[in-house]
Amino acid sequence: MDRVTPVLLLEVASAGIVLVFAYVALRSRRAGAVVPSRARRLQVGLLVGLLGFAGLLLAFTFPRAPYPRRAERPDRVVFVVGKQFSFAVSERPITNDSEWQEAVAFGEPVTLAPGELVEFRVTSFDVNHGLSLYDPDHVLIGQVQAMPGYVNRLRFRFTKPGRYEVLCLEYCGHGHPRMRGYFFVK
Amino acid sequence: MASRLGGLASVLVGSGLVLSLGFGAPARGTEADPEGPYGIPREERYLYRPVPAVEVATQQGVVRLDRLWGERPVLLTLVYTRCSGVCYPFVRSLRDAVRRVGGLGRDYRVVVLSFDPEDTVETMAAMARNVGLADRPDWIFGVTAPTSIERLTQAIGYWIRWDPAARQYDHPAVLIGVDRGRVVRFLVGATVEPARLYEVIRELRGEMVGTYPLPRKGVLFRCLQYRPGRGTALDWGFLLLPAPGFAAFGITAFLFWSVRRRRACPVHSPGGP
Amino acid sequence: MLHGEASLAWPTPVLLERGEAVSEAEDVGFRRMTLVWVATVLALVVVLGTLGWLMRLTQGNWLTLRPEWFYSLMTLHGLGMFGTWYIATMAAVTYLLSRYVRPSLSASRFVYGLTLVAVSLFVIATLVGRFSPGWYFLYPLPFYSQGVWKPWATAVFFTFVGLLGVAWLIWEVSLLGAIARRWSLPQALGWDVLFGRRSVSDVPLAVHIATVMLVLHLSALLSAVVLLSLYTLEGIGTGIRNDPLLMKNLVFYFGHVTAEVTTNLSFMVVLELLPRLAGRPPFRVNRMFAAAFNVILVLIAVTYLHHLLMDFAQPFWLRVLGQTASYLIPIPAAVVTIFIVLTLIYGSRIRWTLPAVLLYLGVMGVAIDGIGAAFISSTPALQFLFHNTLVAVAHLHLGFVMGVVLINLGFVFQFVKELSRSEESSWTTWAIPVLLAIGGYGLVLMFSLAGVASVPRRYAIYPEELARGVTMARFAIVPLALLTAGALLYLWELVRRWPHAWAASRLSSSEAASS
Repeated sequence: MDRVTPVLLLEVASAGIVLVFAYVALRSRRAGAVVPSRARRLQVGLLVGLLGFAGLLLAFTFPRAPYPRRAERPDRVVFVVGKQFSFAVSERPITNDSEWQEAVAFGEPVTLAPGELVEFRVTSFDVNHGLSLYDPDHVLIGQVQAMPGYVNRLRFRFTKPGRYEVLCLEYCGHGHPRMRGYFFVK
Repeated sequence: MASRLGGLASVLVGSGLVLSLGFGAPARGTEADPEGPYGIPREERYLYRPVPAVEVATQQGVVRLDRLWGERPVLLTLVYTRCSGVCYPFVRSLRDAVRRVGGLGRDYRVVVLSFDPEDTVETMAAMARNVGLADRPDWIFGVTAPTSIERLTQAIGYWIRWDPAARQYDHPAVLIGVDRGRVVRFLVGATVEPARLYEVIRELRGEMVGTYPLPRKGVLFRCLQYRPGRGTALDWGFLLLPAPGFAAFGITAFLFWSVRRRRACPVHSPGGP
Repeated sequence: MLHGEASLAWPTPVLLERGEAVSEAEDVGFRRMTLVWVATVLALVVVLGTLGWLMRLTQGNWLTLRPEWFYSLMTLHGLGMFGTWYIATMAAVTYLLSRYVRPSLSASRFVYGLTLVAVSLFVIATLVGRFSPGWYFLYPLPFYSQGVWKPWATAVFFTFVGLLGVAWLIWEVSLLGAIARRWSLPQALGWDVLFGRRSVSDVPLAVHIATVMLVLHLSALLSAVVLLSLYTLEGIGTGIRNDPLLMKNLVFYFGHVTAEVTTNLSFMVVLELLPRLAGRPPFRVNRMFAAAFNVILVLIAVTYLHHLLMDFAQPFWLRVLGQTASYLIPIPAAVVTIFIVLTLIYGSRIRWTLPAVLLYLGVMGVAIDGIGAAFISSTPALQFLFHNTLVAVAHLHLGFVMGVVLINLGFVFQFVKELSRSEESSWTTWAIPVLLAIGGYGLVLMFSLAGVASVPRRYAIYPEELARGVTMARFAIVPLALLTAGALLYLWELVRRWPHAWAASRLSSSEAASS
């Protein structure tokens, strides 16, 4: 889902709220309360409108959720393990600390092909981390939590070639700002 | 002579057993060199790789694998009928596991394919009879051309080595879950545990588990339990989430009741209206 | 208490009316206690606000703080502000409730003392012990300090949490007990109106809202008890380990419910005070209010789930529930509470004093935050891009600074103004809100823009490729300065009136009226 449109809509809605409050505040200067029946009608209208809006939004956003879908079969699997303070990104499963060390220190960088559906299998060996995908223009394009004791599966299709950074997005200690991993798409 | 033959037979059986024991180790715990040609295949290398759509000849005729997996997912295993080692026990354990887990026909079919060029449709049918699976529509015992064997085994990392001394093939025992032409799971082991099979079936069914919990010792309360055979289920720890809400209500109700009860009793009436 | 047009010389006090339930002596006690809470809250806010400054300056590379220090300050600022504004709201609520029921003054004093002890422990843990797992101390981070803080600091921190929990538990139970002396639980929850024959309850709206929110917060405290127990079991070395998913659910239940309760209790303050300032009759609990708050009661307990949308480990149906509940919860707030405030003000000829302006702006802030919280923070497709970026920081500052804080500042000013019997100059009536609003919204805007530009939250130093984070932190100093100016001006106005207010608080309302 694109990031700018929802935020713009939010700003517009906020501006709308400000205008309503400003209008009511200005109208406070003239005596004359709201007629109760009119107020009731407005309330009911607001209720129906908001319920409808919530329903529409649910219907619109539900299918766009980043959760892996049943029907797709990924083309590649990439294993990512977070540990204070680095991410190991590898095509082989990382099942213990020494494999993690090896992957971080000597592992071959993972290279993915553009357009293929990649499945990230993400976990952590210590605390909660956040796997984030920053594209070559340093824009955040996706994320998933890395929780110790669980393997989360995130599916993504990369199109832009270049180097992708994996920054930690869940505060994990003093090394949090320098925790990272990377992979290539080419 | 008889004792020599007997001795040779026992060596054969023994080595077959040893081999099968070695292969009986859990898929992940292997120490075999993954880079070596005769190591135990590692699942992740072949995950989601495409499987060649080879033609399989059976007693009912010839069928292409892609037609099979086009209708529903396929569990594929590679054996040979002259096997005095792991093959027959493996197929029997697969049969038992399939019976336990269920879903055959509805969720998947099983293809038992021979990699031995000397096997024929008849020998495979005999094998089927031997393990009690003859004339079952969802159990497909068949053979394929040697070139197809080579394409298939290369694509899925399967190796076959002829041992002239034993006059047997050395090979791993694998079960591959194939969904629409791609390897979805890759089990290695002499026996098929129902729990592992269940995991494979779920994957084949397309049940997308966005996560799976890793086993950890000493965890007191869990939100979820991954029970092999039942999948992910809520565990007792989950009750700790709604419990505070209900407890708060209960405590408040009790508080109100006891305060109002004391108010009704004049001795304990507090000051004020 | 109905008032006609307010007198120009000195408006009739609207806050300082003694309730029937409390004696004159107790009323004096509550006034004093409220002043003491206010003074403590403001002192804390000055310190914690300074920490916020230090953080933004560090992120703008104008100050060099080692990450270990940055994160201790961040932990102190975050949890400190969160707790402080909850306390502030509860102090206002206690005072307002004393008009209808008889809270326990001794409990209030005891809670104050315990809170001070607890807060001192917290300051020691963070500033001396460098305890810095962030304000929601996400399991198992407190046990993985990498040498930055020692186990004693962790122990002190959890002692602080435990003590504060006990203090708040006593506070809430004592308030609920006071309510229980007058009304039954179904009455206080508005069920006689919702399910019975009555169309209007004789339970005051303030009592109804307080009951709903206190029950909810009790559940949050109980979940904190569970959380603390599980942490302790592991921390003392029993060999037991905890499930990170369960612990995350528990801590976010506690945190989220506390935030929502604080916001709704602030609404209670608005709905008590604003009608009186507008010269309108107080609100009664009718079917509409009862329905709204009972729906909110149920929904609040479930909306916390939107904090775990990016945890694929969380069962899918819980994530769906979180999103759905979060979309629904602004509805009762918009259709009832906020709508009622607007209809109250419309045509009311309210005298726009500083308290009235602050209360009104606070409601507006909560309204704006409500839509952001619902539709940005609770949509998985958007959280995929914004979770744990500065968008989250924008959201919580918006709801708190431009919502809860403004409302509390409005209440406090009205309280001190009435006690000190002082008027306000029209200059400050407008200068303060304008500075606070431009500063506050500007600060929030800078956070949002940075978050949309992919800048993560909780970064002490921004890496090379996120240099825009530094630039935006620098720009944010401008609105921060305006916000601070507004806050300082407000504080000055308060401090000026303080000696009179303190002296007058000794007098009972009848003595004060006759003097």
